[in-house]
Amino acid sequence: MAEIKWPAKRRVIGTRVPRLDGPDKATGRARYSQDINRPGMLHAVILRSPYAHCRIKSLDLSEAEKAPGVRAIVTVGQLNYTGGRKEGKPGWAFPVNKTDVGRELFYHGDEILAIAADTEEHARDALRLVKIEYEQLPFIVKESTALQKRNAPSTVPGKDASNVIPGGNRTQGDPDAAKKAAEVLVTGTYGVPVITHCCLETHGLVAEWENPKSLVIWCTTQAVPGTAGQLQGFLAGHGITASVRCITHYMGGGFGSKFGPDIQGQLAAVLAWLAKAPVKLFLDRDEEHLAAGNRPSATATVTIAGNRDGTITLFEATSHGTPGIGRSAGVNIGILPYVYEVANVRISTEIVRLNHGAARAMRAPAHPQNCFITESAVDDFANAAGLDPMEVRLKNLPPNDPNAIKTQPTSFLALRQTIYATEIGIAAELSQWKKKWHPPGKGPTKGPWKHGIGMALHTWGGAGRADNDVFVTIHSDGSVLVQCSTQDLGTGERTVLAIVVAEVLGLEPKELTVIIGESQIGRSTGSGGSTTTPGTAPAALVAAINARDELFRKIAPKLGTQPESLAIEAGKITDKASGKSYTWRQACARLGMESVRGQGNWQPGLSNLGVGGVQVAEVWVDTETGVVRLERIVAVQDCGMVVNKLGCESQVAGGVIMGINLAMFEEMIVDEQTGRMVNPDFEFYKLGGILDMPEIIVHMHDMPERGVIGIGEPPTISTAAAIGNAICNALGVRVPRTPFSPDRVLAALQSKT
Amino acid sequence: MPESPHPPHKPGISRREFLSGTGLTAAATALIGPGETLGQADKAKAIATPGFGPKPVACELTVNGTRITVQIEPRVTLLDCLRHYMDVTGPKRVCDRGTCGACTVLLNGKPIYACTMLALEAQGKNIETPESLYQDGQLHRVPAAFAQYDAQQCGFCTPGFVMAMKGCFDRNPKATPAEVERCLAGNICRCGTYQQMRHALRSLCQKGG
Repeated sequence: MAEIKWPAKRRVIGTRVPRLDGPDKATGRARYSQDINRPGMLHAVILRSPYAHCRIKSLDLSEAEKAPGVRAIVTVGQLNYTGGRKEGKPGWAFPVNKTDVGRELFYHGDEILAIAADTEEHARDALRLVKIEYEQLPFIVKESTALQKRNAPSTVPGKDASNVIPGGNRTQGDPDAAKKAAEVLVTGTYGVPVITHCCLETHGLVAEWENPKSLVIWCTTQAVPGTAGQLQGFLAGHGITASVRCITHYMGGGFGSKFGPDIQGQLAAVLAWLAKAPVKLFLDRDEEHLAAGNRPSATATVTIAGNRDGTITLFEATSHGTPGIGRSAGVNIGILPYVYEVANVRISTEIVRLNHGAARAMRAPAHPQNCFITESAVDDFANAAGLDPMEVRLKNLPPNDPNAIKTQPTSFLALRQTIYATEIGIAAELSQWKKKWHPPGKGPTKGPWKHGIGMALHTWGGAGRADNDVFVTIHSDGSVLVQCSTQDLGTGERTVLAIVVAEVLGLEPKELTVIIGESQIGRSTGSGGSTTTPGTAPAALVAAINARDELFRKIAPKLGTQPESLAIEAGKITDKASGKSYTWRQACARLGMESVRGQGNWQPGLSNLGVGGVQVAEVWVDTETGVVRLERIVAVQDCGMVVNKLGCESQVAGGVIMGINLAMFEEMIVDEQTGRMVNPDFEFYKLGGILDMPEIIVHMHDMPERGVIGIGEPPTISTAAAIGNAICNALGVRVPRTPFSPDRVLAALQSKT
Repeated sequence: MPESPHPPHKPGISRREFLSGTGLTAAATALIGPGETLGQADKAKAIATPGFGPKPVACELTVNGTRITVQIEPRVTLLDCLRHYMDVTGPKRVCDRGTCGACTVLLNGKPIYACTMLALEAQGKNIETPESLYQDGQLHRVPAAFAQYDAQQCGFCTPGFVMAMKGCFDRNPKATPAEVERCLAGNICRCGTYQQMRHALRSLCQKGG
């Protein structure tokens, strides 16, 4: 078989194609998992720990069980119970005094039990009738407290002696000598807080047993087959052999927090089993903040040394961050000093585990934090050296790797300096950097308002993955069905598949029917690491080519020609031998009663990995009130071959806005006295609205020769760093931590005097 | 003494319990009368088991021109009534406390948060939900602009934004982009589609709504 390549001349790929499901989504006709209502469906709610750390002393469900409308109750202790559990006798067959009393709860929001009732109102009533006593235990919810009390006994799950565990150390070159030889030396402390994913469709599902061997879930998940498989495994662990089918036609955001059924998925499956009725269980907004994942914080004290010409010779960082009760924080010794290569490096990190919900992957895990830390420090170094920070960045770009140039000329290693330098040039032009940049604090003013401009760089992987099956079926009426079990987080995945198949078959994307989000269709990988488009677009190309070739084989004899003579042009099939041409429908009609199907899986050579990205922020800061007004963000982004330009631009602008939220608004605040999150809502956990948004200029740096690379994560990485640098450029003083709220800006100004 | 299972930030009574205990609902129930029906009650949708609060009553809503009657407890919000009892799921439940706008519907032409109104209070009023903007293959110009300019990603906030924008143009067909943006200031999008929304609303302003 000939090697499959992207078409050299592209008719649809790389153009702006409105998403196929746009009208359905905009008018509420698209059914998300949370919109599924089934006949006889029950509603379930979860009881959660009110304390940051406690033990269940007693639990009495007798009144709740008798409450109006209640159909089933199951506890987390029962789900986890292994003592005496055996085939056919699941954990929930055991009483709660055995499975739950004595169980430790580790954060405000930790799951205790769930109740299913005929209405949500009844389920909530019943929750209030649960009689439960807690023994409160010591907790730590602040990183500074944990670091001070590093010898105190651990308050989090696991066998570690302390809440503070090592995150790793790395030394390279001779940091001490570099420090001694430094012409310019700066030290600063920078940080970002814990933020939460805030998926607008909260986590949850509808679970329905078709029969004791078959469970269907409509689950909001970014891993459709993966979630079905995990739930199947959970049930098997309880001696229940059943197939699980997951349906996710539409989902309201995931951002890295929706890779499995979670505890609520297990609870719903068991409640539906016990009640013999479909169960809907979705978290409330407060539960979503508390228990559905968050992004780890990061704080680092960074020292950068270098020469007066702007060459960085040393990067030294001591950092820590918290994953809540999780074990893996976002400060990562592998990623510092982020996009730069520095000869002398010394990094040490600590993970500070606290009594709040566990961290989960969140859009470009670890990158926004490490970008903020590195790019803030690089800017401070440039300022100390009295240099334009754009020039300092150009001077310290990682070089194109000579070996990679020979062996993998389209790899990021072979191209990175070129990509960054090109993108910095484009960003400089679009932002008018040369005209607008000024030494820190020395820019234009309007009354108390001061102008600032700042920039930052980022990088990401975005590789394709194997095990993505796409099926393309061509029917005799000319209709085309594209199927893949993958999910659309909002990226426009349906449209991506349609664009690729339409390109091959000479059709328009909107002429195709695309079905995604059903686990039984075949294999697909979770949408993590910006891998969905680079994983499925190549599979769609292979499937479409296979379907096309099969069509040619089937219809060639009926057209009195050879399959090799047939070719596709926009809307028609031509026979090179006879010079005749047929419309797509005429040609497909020759299939008669048959249809043809092509299958494709991801294969190497069509996707790539590694992207750059440059962002420039322009701000005005009110030195009297501390208010920061964002004027403009320029985002220059590459992602190899652009499949849907409209979708790519959306992803980049959306990433920038998520970065703006990190910079300006978001922070999970946990009260040290009570151990409770005080802002699990949208009143005090702020997200920007349309009036908060600056002008956003997006430039896609299209590099079709590199193949397809993921775009979802990179554009959110450097926004907060660029904004922080712009504020510093305005004020001549750094605001070291996000969010850049007025109080922090004023505090920074005060520290200057 | 067993402790209350309520997390302390949820006061001893919930918002719904609170509302059901206030004059608001009491008045509504008195007006309708417990157990009485307004119009033809849909018996099939009646709740089999009464709860602790006032008993379910008939509630007749006019949704996109169609009258629908269900039996609901007086504490049920307009949003929950639409989503859970009438299977009208275009309005989304995101914050459930009037901060995000995902549940925006038009009530007699005025955009409101459906999560902050009791269903019984919406009786006798004309309720427009996003579903009404795509009927018989005809797509209303506001959602059409959202689709054309890709002013949506996950799309969970989108129906709310669409209704807020439609309400804006219904009131003032000559609204300026700045005025339309102010009408959208009560809505939140997490995917960050504001830039594309600006493209969409500018195109509509140029066309005079």
